[in-house]
Amino acid sequence: MNIFLQELKANRKALFFWCFGMILMVSSGMAKYGGYKASGQSVNQLISTLPKAVRAILGFGELDLSKASGYFGVLFIYLIILATIHAALLGADIISKEERDKTSEFLFVKPISRLKIITSKLLAALFNVVVLNIITLLSSVAIVDYYNKGPSVNTEIYILMLAMFLLQLIFLAIGIVMAAISKNPRVATTKATSILLATFILSVIIDLSSKIEKLKYLTPFKYFEAKDLIKNLELDPVFVFLSLIIIIFLTCSTYLFYQRRDLSI
Amino acid sequence: MNLVETKDLTKYYGKERGIIDVNLNIKEGEIFGFIGPNGAGKSTTIRTLLTLIYPTSGSATIFGKDIIKYAPEIKEEIGYLPSEVFYYEKMRVIELLRYSASFYKRDKKETEKRIKELAELLNLELNKKVEDLSYGNKKKVGIIQGLLHRPKLIILDEPTGGLDPLMQKTFFNLVRQENKNGATVLFSSHILGEVQKLCDRVAIIKEGKIIKVEKVSTIIEHNYKRIKIETSDKIDSKYFAIDGISDYKAENKTISFLFKGNINVLTKKIVGLNLTNLWVEEPDLEEIFLHYYEKD
Repeated sequence: MNIFLQELKANRKALFFWCFGMILMVSSGMAKYGGYKASGQSVNQLISTLPKAVRAILGFGELDLSKASGYFGVLFIYLIILATIHAALLGADIISKEERDKTSEFLFVKPISRLKIITSKLLAALFNVVVLNIITLLSSVAIVDYYNKGPSVNTEIYILMLAMFLLQLIFLAIGIVMAAISKNPRVATTKATSILLATFILSVIIDLSSKIEKLKYLTPFKYFEAKDLIKNLELDPVFVFLSLIIIIFLTCSTYLFYQRRDLSI
Repeated sequence: MNLVETKDLTKYYGKERGIIDVNLNIKEGEIFGFIGPNGAGKSTTIRTLLTLIYPTSGSATIFGKDIIKYAPEIKEEIGYLPSEVFYYEKMRVIELLRYSASFYKRDKKETEKRIKELAELLNLELNKKVEDLSYGNKKKVGIIQGLLHRPKLIILDEPTGGLDPLMQKTFFNLVRQENKNGATVLFSSHILGEVQKLCDRVAIIKEGKIIKVEKVSTIIEHNYKRIKIETSDKIDSKYFAIDGISDYKAENKTISFLFKGNINVLTKKIVGLNLTNLWVEEPDLEEIFLHYYEKD
């Protein structure tokens, strides 16, 4: 419990800024939607004149931008990038920082097993991730509702946030496992963010070229896409299953590696 | 009873040597010195005992329990002061000490009182942030967090670095006091004088291997000295043909050597010379190793 609280305390400032960033992202994004609506332009027509590559990179895809849900769907890509970066950094940092800051000779000589130390840290990280998700959810519901003149899109937002939560967990797990297997604690965050960047770029490339569509299993950013989520109002069970497998596998690996390895001092 | 016992404890970092077949028996209630040059394997041994790192082969017990299997249980009764101290920079000293205390099953009021006492003794401000502390003051934080739960085994790895001589004295007294109250102490150092002052027995480690375990009184008996003499006339190289001389070097009118044995025999010899200068120094550990323990 003491480690859990200590970690919450250590991360509270960062969490505050991440939440603030999320709210800012949602509100500034939706404010643009308000602008489009007010100008009466046909946004869809405007977007369709853009080349496919530009649309893919900007994340417009096939969403109906004249609707609040469609517009929020575009925003969703930016939200998950932020949320997954947060999760990956947090995961790598929370495990590796004792070695990086050389405090491991303090913590790991206390009468507590490594298993409990990791568990406390994971729970603290999970808490941070959940808070960020809930804050994003609440601010999205409130802000989208403010601009939305059509029927309520809360269900869409819940589904999107559930998807975001799974992605957060995947990248949290990637972060912690990188910290667990890296002998040099300083490279853990770099490795985790590199994986994030690589998988994100892969997802954009897949958008551009339908020939490599099969590669979508390799990048979590293709597991849950706003256009499908909004259309079907449910998560694809195959990818939910795949996500859970990844999360469980990486978390177990973290326990396994970190318990047996020499700490770098 | 042996409080700490290691059996052929061996640690390699990849192919690099850490320690090889270390066999140590530390008895309950003693202050056990662990001495050797830097890089000999002192910290490796200690970190293995604390399961910060795991042995390549061999085993060890503390309080009769296997160090790996019962690690958390054993650590309840261990206080550790590492050679270099690092703590959470953003915390205040008192917060850090309370955090440290929160891991042990101890009475809260008692611990709080103990923190105050130790802080007063060591002259440490509790409300400062860790990042604002000098190295010496961080070391004091280390001492307090190592002793606040009144451990049965105190492990000190090169503890005096950063402490001024006065504070070292206070610290040594504190360690002696804890020892009197029943704590066993493992004291690692590369400074022979420190170990001589404090310890009952001492293990000497070199290149990863224990080369000797001796009573400190025996080492003091040996009383190694480095002697350097400058004379007005050149000394005959056979003049100092007495027992206990080694590493004899002569350069013009200056000679130097290591001496072990009855100092009176030596002084009688020196009386016969016309000195212009004389140095009698404590040899450093490396020299002793080189000339006395090499053959062992």
